[in-house]
Amino acid sequence: MDDTLTLPLAEVLPGTVLAAPVLDHSGAVLLPAGLSLTEVQLDGLRRRDVATLLVVRPEDAEARARKQERIRARVMYLFRHTADEAGSQALLHAVLAFRQETGQ
Amino acid sequence: MTRLEEMVSHVHKLPAMPVVAMEVLQSMSGADTDIDALAKRIAQDQAIAARVLRVANSPFYGLQSRVGSIHDAIVVLGLSSVRSLVLAAAVITGLPGGRCPEFSQSRFWRHVLGVAAAARALARPLRRPPEPLFVAGLLHDIGRLAMMTIYPEELCGVLADAQTRDCTLVEAEFRHFGFDHSTVGAELARRWNFPAEIIDALAWHHDPARGVPGGLAGIVHYADAIAHALDLDGAETGQVPRLDAQTVDALDLGWEALNGVLTETRAGFDSFETLLG
Repeated sequence: MDDTLTLPLAEVLPGTVLAAPVLDHSGAVLLPAGLSLTEVQLDGLRRRDVATLLVVRPEDAEARARKQERIRARVMYLFRHTADEAGSQALLHAVLAFRQETGQ
Repeated sequence: MTRLEEMVSHVHKLPAMPVVAMEVLQSMSGADTDIDALAKRIAQDQAIAARVLRVANSPFYGLQSRVGSIHDAIVVLGLSSVRSLVLAAAVITGLPGGRCPEFSQSRFWRHVLGVAAAARALARPLRRPPEPLFVAGLLHDIGRLAMMTIYPEELCGVLADAQTRDCTLVEAEFRHFGFDHSTVGAELARRWNFPAEIIDALAWHHDPARGVPGGLAGIVHYADAIAHALDLDGAETGQVPRLDAQTVDALDLGWEALNGVLTETRAGFDSFETLLG
């Protein structure tokens, strides 16, 4: 069973977990996958006229959040000596988003 | 004799490059390639041919019917893909590896194939032909295999030291020998008459600012970091090495391009992994 679902923004409640990152027009990440949405963030998305969101089915949200956290911790471990360096920034963020999205 | 001079003399006593690999490398620089003769030559080396056919028939290429011969593989996949696969298979079967608990042969090759896949994936956004990038990635760490052959015991100690200090292998090599595997690899590449751009990539992939500007060293430098960041070698204590900010800026990869590179690296790696089986 697919553990994600597309919801109109109006039906998304605070605490819902994003299944894919929300991007702006240039493709930059506004909100990363795995984020548990707050009311303030939902407001921001309404202001940007976002229509729908790909979110995690509520029953899977907790397991998904644990997995996303495991992946984040692993990526930060790999970048443990270089996470603060200018040369690493783009790769670190792209790899984090890619691995959380693909679950690898 | 200094340590460096001693290393150079050792490198010159190492075995020659496997003949098939040498012929494939030469055919990359020549305009005319006799495909029939090359296919026949490759097929004569059963160990290499079998690995190549296994990859050609892997799901990555999604072919409708089975590829049964090297000649068919060239027709279906193209000369460039088959040459890359042959070279990969030749290096894997032809170079002696080391034996010590700290050195994992399979982890080494998974890393190398990961870097080759990442370098090839960078070809599209950088608008470069993919073959030299793949080859440079594939060969970038041969200095490590050479060191394993020349200094088996010392290198095992260096590997253990890197674990203890939680530093990169390059740092640990340099601390112990006064040079690292990139110097050894470049020396071996010279002995094996590799093309100049490949020698440059081997020599400077950890210090790309000293390589030819816009050359392969910077691309392999970045591909190496990608392979580590995606955990392709499966090393528990892996780490992403320091990236040279100027090199990264010069590559000028946007978010979308980088995301495409990661996707393609992962897919390419999964297909090449069948080479190792």
